[in-house]
Amino acid sequence: MMTATVSRWARVRDSFLWYSFKRDKVAIASFIVLLAMVLSAIFAPLLAPTDPYDLALIDIMNSELPPVGMSGADGAFPLGTDAQGRDMLSTILYGTRVSLMIGFGAVILQAALGIMFGLLAGYLGGRVDAILMRIADVQLSFSTLMVAIIVGAVFKASFGSLMFGEIAIYMLIFIIGVAEWPQIARTVRASVLAEKKKEYVDAAKVMGFRTNRIMFRHILPNTLSPIFVIGTVQIANAIISEAALSFLGLGMPETQPSLGSLIKSGFDYIQSGSWWITLLPGLVLVVLVLVINLLGDWLRDVMNPRLYKG
Amino acid sequence: MLAFLVQRISQAFLVMFVISMIAFAIQDGLGDPLQELVGMSVSLEERDAIREDMGLNDPIYVQYARFAGNALQGDLGISYFYGKPTLQVIAEHLPATLELVIGASLIILVFSVPIGVYAAIRPQAFLSKFFMSISTVGISIPVFLTAIVLIQLFSIGVTIELFPTETGWGTWLNGALSTDGGLPSYGRGDELTHLFGTWTSGFFSWDGLWHLVLPCVSLASIMLPLFIRLIRAEMMEVLQSDYIRYARAKGLSSGRINFLHALKNTMLPVITVGGVQLGIMVAYTILTETVFQWPGMGLMFLEAITRSDIPLIVAYLMVVGLVFVITNTIVDLIYGLVNPTVKLTGKKA
Amino acid sequence: MALLEVKNLDVRFAVRGGDLTALRGISFSLDKGERLGLVGESGAGKSVAAFSILNLIAQPGYIAGGQILFEGKDLAAMSERELRKIRGNRIAMIFQDPMMTLNPVLTIGTQMVEAIKAHRRISTKDARAIAVDKLRKVQIPSPEKRLDQYPHELSGGMRQRVIIAIALLLDPEIIIADEPTTALDVTIQAEIMALLLDLCEQENVALMLITHDLGVVSQVSQRMLVMYSGRIIEQGPTREIINDAQHPYTQGLINALPQMGEPGARLFQIPGAMPSLKNVPSGCPFNPRCSFATDECRRTMPEYVRAGNVDVACYEVERLIAQEQQAREVTP
Repeated sequence: MMTATVSRWARVRDSFLWYSFKRDKVAIASFIVLLAMVLSAIFAPLLAPTDPYDLALIDIMNSELPPVGMSGADGAFPLGTDAQGRDMLSTILYGTRVSLMIGFGAVILQAALGIMFGLLAGYLGGRVDAILMRIADVQLSFSTLMVAIIVGAVFKASFGSLMFGEIAIYMLIFIIGVAEWPQIARTVRASVLAEKKKEYVDAAKVMGFRTNRIMFRHILPNTLSPIFVIGTVQIANAIISEAALSFLGLGMPETQPSLGSLIKSGFDYIQSGSWWITLLPGLVLVVLVLVINLLGDWLRDVMNPRLYKG
Repeated sequence: MLAFLVQRISQAFLVMFVISMIAFAIQDGLGDPLQELVGMSVSLEERDAIREDMGLNDPIYVQYARFAGNALQGDLGISYFYGKPTLQVIAEHLPATLELVIGASLIILVFSVPIGVYAAIRPQAFLSKFFMSISTVGISIPVFLTAIVLIQLFSIGVTIELFPTETGWGTWLNGALSTDGGLPSYGRGDELTHLFGTWTSGFFSWDGLWHLVLPCVSLASIMLPLFIRLIRAEMMEVLQSDYIRYARAKGLSSGRINFLHALKNTMLPVITVGGVQLGIMVAYTILTETVFQWPGMGLMFLEAITRSDIPLIVAYLMVVGLVFVITNTIVDLIYGLVNPTVKLTGKKA
Repeated sequence: MALLEVKNLDVRFAVRGGDLTALRGISFSLDKGERLGLVGESGAGKSVAAFSILNLIAQPGYIAGGQILFEGKDLAAMSERELRKIRGNRIAMIFQDPMMTLNPVLTIGTQMVEAIKAHRRISTKDARAIAVDKLRKVQIPSPEKRLDQYPHELSGGMRQRVIIAIALLLDPEIIIADEPTTALDVTIQAEIMALLLDLCEQENVALMLITHDLGVVSQVSQRMLVMYSGRIIEQGPTREIINDAQHPYTQGLINALPQMGEPGARLFQIPGAMPSLKNVPSGCPFNPRCSFATDECRRTMPEYVRAGNVDVACYEVERLIAQEQQAREVTP
């Protein structure tokens, strides 16, 4: 029964999604760019000319070489090298990989938290609802970035820099996931409240289904489309948050850089004229976030779900 | 009015209570005041004695009560690094941050309202579409990256040699695309005016203003697209309403309809969201101040993290928490005052 | 010459995948001081017709053809600037829902004074005096105090009185009232309607009343139009139409009135529902619901024929008239 409802839902969505996708040039272009970036990130170890994590391959003599097309460039390093002599193309490929991993990981975590708390708040109502939504309100009014910075600072202070660096990926997924759960929880709650009024929920109750069965098998599938839209935009937000944390030194260490920590390490050299070390990863970050946002905009227009406003 | 005030203020106290508990937990979990006070050379027995003396063996709630009591009296401990009361350190760094936020808010206000309103009134115009696309891109650029690009363009300068210089056009294009740079990208400058106490300002000298330009523009850049989109969306919704059509049926001029009838209704939700966003800007000052080495609270906080200056971290947390709570409460009150349909009893009429 | 004469008005809505026709070939006239009722189900195009007179149709609607002659000048062809001089000044409107009509963040006084000042060079003090005078006319107690109040401080009935007062501010020639009482409590509906009627009579203002309530139309208006699916299907003197409706749809409407049924018996109901703009049937739009429908009705839209003083667009009526004429010719 579960599979029947889900696949029917998916079929309707697919056909309509596909139809409007074909008509939207911006959506198609964004999707192609995103797909290319995700694929090149996944296959970074195969595509990258060098392994930036392997210190033996780095020659300090090659440091701060400009990208091809400028005087003094070396053909072996198409996008130039950074201050340690690492190939920029390789570090950017690996950096995108780290950024995407954290982005997706954080959204999966916040979706899990958000769906759980949102369902509880919306379905149970009363005191549970009041407390959860109060926490969400306060956390949102503090801004997710602030919460992430504080949690990151506390973690870094308690683990110490070295230890923090080693487990940074998991830390960042945890920090960003915890900081951003209210967004999804509010959306889920809003759609649960709308769904709860409908007759099929009453019918399920009358038939004697248990509460969590009603929540997960009956209400949840009907709230998926707003979660999907919010989730897309949240991936972009998570990637930005990760970059911000890394830029502040609360994120990925330089030995295993994300796009954010690449920008940070390159920033020190911008005054000496080596703009590419910081601006090339910056450009990749902006394009990545932009295409995800554009896809999110398109999804929102198509699905037009009950988004929580304000 | 009184009920509304009491409700909002008691809510603010509750939030502050929770924040103080978190701050206390951080201090309790991370800070070892003994380490700082006595160093390594003291024997275990002596340590225990001092520990007892300082009340560190008391039950946790007693320790919290002491912490909260001190906090209420304005005592949030001594900074390890500065060796001064943390609140004094924060007070010294506050003006720089405040100035940044004020400058950025002015930029946001001056640009977001006209652009948002224009995009709502003429949604099909080329300029509107242009501004909306720019703001979509703007939302996707993290604030520190905007800052870096601005530094490259206007502080360091860019020399473009893409076009052949044999022709006059090539030279002109190269020149037109190149930027001179020269804007300061570091600190607040030397010519700060002393207002009172430790309070200094860069608003009153050319050098000070000059130093403010890039940081303020960077900080504004993250919020400006959000505000433009928000104002446009709210205004478009208002323009669809019956009372706007009725105003047209009365034969009013489009100026009065757009700028009095519609704008006043648009600004109500914008004030609420805007106030909250103003608080959120504090988070972004940390990033902006890092890029521009701006000696404000954000940079101070980051340095405190690298120095493991726990009392200063905790104090920052408390102060920023207070700032958020106060702005949110004030925004609620202003909303209540501006909107005639809220009777200030906490319920919408 | 009629004060207002609408000729062959077409209104369309530009939507994705082509235009939808909301009004087709609307023609009617309104004389000075006359009271005209415009009846039909919701979705028949009554409100669109009302709003199009002042060229206030909401996007994406637009006037696709026809003329709206006010004192001989075509409102449909007028510039926004010229139209503004007529809106509120010569032709005033009363909207359906008083809760939504007044701007919630401006005082009653502001909203009244600005209406006067938009059309007259006058001091605020004098404008307020006019406003107080009109508020008194619509029997609002302590009118001076009301000027400084916000709309939410007044009840729905009070707000609709304020809106009637605003309509009267500049002594217009025509008031267009779009279901002015539907949003109000039943108990005060009659009160507001009586007030409106009274004032129009006193000030000799022409009233165009849009409503779905045949009872109100029969009490208020001298002439009436019946609309169905964007067309006028019958128009003429109210009394004649109520007593002897020609069009099967109008007959159905009248038979559906509770007053027409036996106490305790089921009310009459026209079978089916009005078609949406997206799928208007060819020919007469009423044909799927009409028991007299023929192939001709399904093919082409009937022209107007005159029955007594009533103009009606129906092939069945045409046939009946023809039969009658034949009968008359046979037995001279």
